[in-house]
Amino acid sequence: MPSSDPPAVIRTRELTKVYPGRVTALDGLTVDFKPGVTGLVGANGAGKSTLIKILLGLIRPTQGQAKVLGLPTGEKVRSLLGYMPEHDCLPADVTATEFVTHLGRISGLPATVSKERAAESLRHVGLHEERYRLIGTYSTGMKQRVKLAQALVGAPRLLLLDEPTNGLDPAGRTAMLELIARIGAEFGISIVVASHLLGEIERICDHLVAIDGGRLLRADTITSFTQVSQVLAVEVEEGLDRLQAELAARGLAVTTQARTLLVPLGGDDTYDVVRDCVAALSLPLCRLEQRRHQVEELFRDEQEGAAHA
Amino acid sequence: MPDSALSPPATGVIHDLGYRGYDGPRLGRAQIVKALTWHSFRSSFGIGRGVKGKIIPALAFVAMCLPAFVNAFAVARGNPRLFGYDVYVPSLRVAVVTIFLAAQAPELVSRDLRNHVLPLYFCRPLRHGDYPLAKYLALTAALLLLIEIPLLILYLGTIASVKSGGAVWDQTKALIPGLGVGLMWAVLMAAIGLVLASLTGRRAYSTGIVAISCVLTFILSLLLIQSEGGTTATSTGARIAGLFSPFTIMDGVRIWLGGNPQVGLVANPGRYGPLYGLAAVVLLAACLGGLAARYRKVSQS
Repeated sequence: MPSSDPPAVIRTRELTKVYPGRVTALDGLTVDFKPGVTGLVGANGAGKSTLIKILLGLIRPTQGQAKVLGLPTGEKVRSLLGYMPEHDCLPADVTATEFVTHLGRISGLPATVSKERAAESLRHVGLHEERYRLIGTYSTGMKQRVKLAQALVGAPRLLLLDEPTNGLDPAGRTAMLELIARIGAEFGISIVVASHLLGEIERICDHLVAIDGGRLLRADTITSFTQVSQVLAVEVEEGLDRLQAELAARGLAVTTQARTLLVPLGGDDTYDVVRDCVAALSLPLCRLEQRRHQVEELFRDEQEGAAHA
Repeated sequence: MPDSALSPPATGVIHDLGYRGYDGPRLGRAQIVKALTWHSFRSSFGIGRGVKGKIIPALAFVAMCLPAFVNAFAVARGNPRLFGYDVYVPSLRVAVVTIFLAAQAPELVSRDLRNHVLPLYFCRPLRHGDYPLAKYLALTAALLLLIEIPLLILYLGTIASVKSGGAVWDQTKALIPGLGVGLMWAVLMAAIGLVLASLTGRRAYSTGIVAISCVLTFILSLLLIQSEGGTTATSTGARIAGLFSPFTIMDGVRIWLGGNPQVGLVANPGRYGPLYGLAAVVLLAACLGGLAARYRKVSQS
């Protein structure tokens, strides 16, 4: 490996987990997570939660190995991690301050440090005077912030966030994503965000690791996922069917996606063909552009492949 | 003090309250367990909880200490000490320990199950056995206080009234096995209470499970003892009738180890004494093993 590459924060090799009953959750997963904010994307059941549990050292892989921050998984690594679970995990009848302080102690902080860091963590996630109220009185958005604060309290070097926008309304989602992006950029903590919602995760990530069926689909920088593709997107206000027939008649393998025609880009003359067709049919053209890859395609192609198989 | 060494570099912003990491010392695993034990010990008396959480522990304490106070006053006015240090007031002790256990064991374990807080513990530098260990140590210590403090009140009240040094020594000699019996109660009942309470996160259910298990087995043993001729009988049936509830098992162990067979809950086990000892050890091992297995499973889910 060239020395210019930063060391991976998470490195898995042939990681396999088969649960009793022969359910394969991870199937030979080999992937490196780079420092920064990384999205871990996959449908429900793709193996995201299993991977997180193995990284936390809560379950053992059936085969293969995982290293986190250069260390084998276990309690030593856990003291360097902050984890935000997907589901509700907060007691209703204590205040956020008490709860986060207590968990700071369990993270191994001395009593006074734990108190200070609990107050700071809650402030960083945007809970100020509210932190002295019982958690049971909080809104969903505030509870998500407490979950994030408890992950931060132990001064982690790596955060594992499992579906952090779960249950939030659109405004809450945006606020949570901005918070995560800020933690990644300003706090110098690497973050893995597991989510099944690509649209929001690609807004804040530097890298993306896509898994499906326990296998790696692709791991790359977010920009490479959204590079321009050799596809032209054509939209007309009416006469979509006629245009499609006309283009097909001229030998182009046209596909439709909702109200858009997708035309494979052979070269500059493809633009001319499209222009000529639209002109010949005198259709109102409203969009003609070279398409960018969308992260969703990764999964869509995979699913189509599976459907055809 | 040289100013330049401490003041931030000129480029730094003084009002920047940005994120700070922490590179200072961290607690080891043993110290984390200690912190969790202390936290749990306090909450087993409702400390750190609302007023409601303190009612039952407080009432249990008052009820348990009342006979000791009354008797200590009576001793001061020339009356004899009525309650033995090893059995104290047997029926009261069974009732109060059952109530305390049914109320506070769920407080220690069911709440965390109910609120799904456990992932937040297991993702921290603890091992899956550390959480139940801390809870067990905490509840054992709480029960120990509940059982032993009345004995100490009784002891102090008594020795305040005796005249000779020899009498003080007699009282002390009687107290020590009493403290030992109290320790046995705390160690065994904490294990039973926690393993039963950890079966469910539903507070009401786990309270019910603990209370019903303690009460029903106790009644069963009492009925068996009665039907075999009571606590003075010497038949084999009477001698082993106490093996069906933890309270009577512990009383059998007490008599086997030399306690007074005239007072207490069970008939003198005689040569079946070791059976009571074995029953206590097996019960303890089963409960602690069950607790460990329960949390191994929980930590992976």
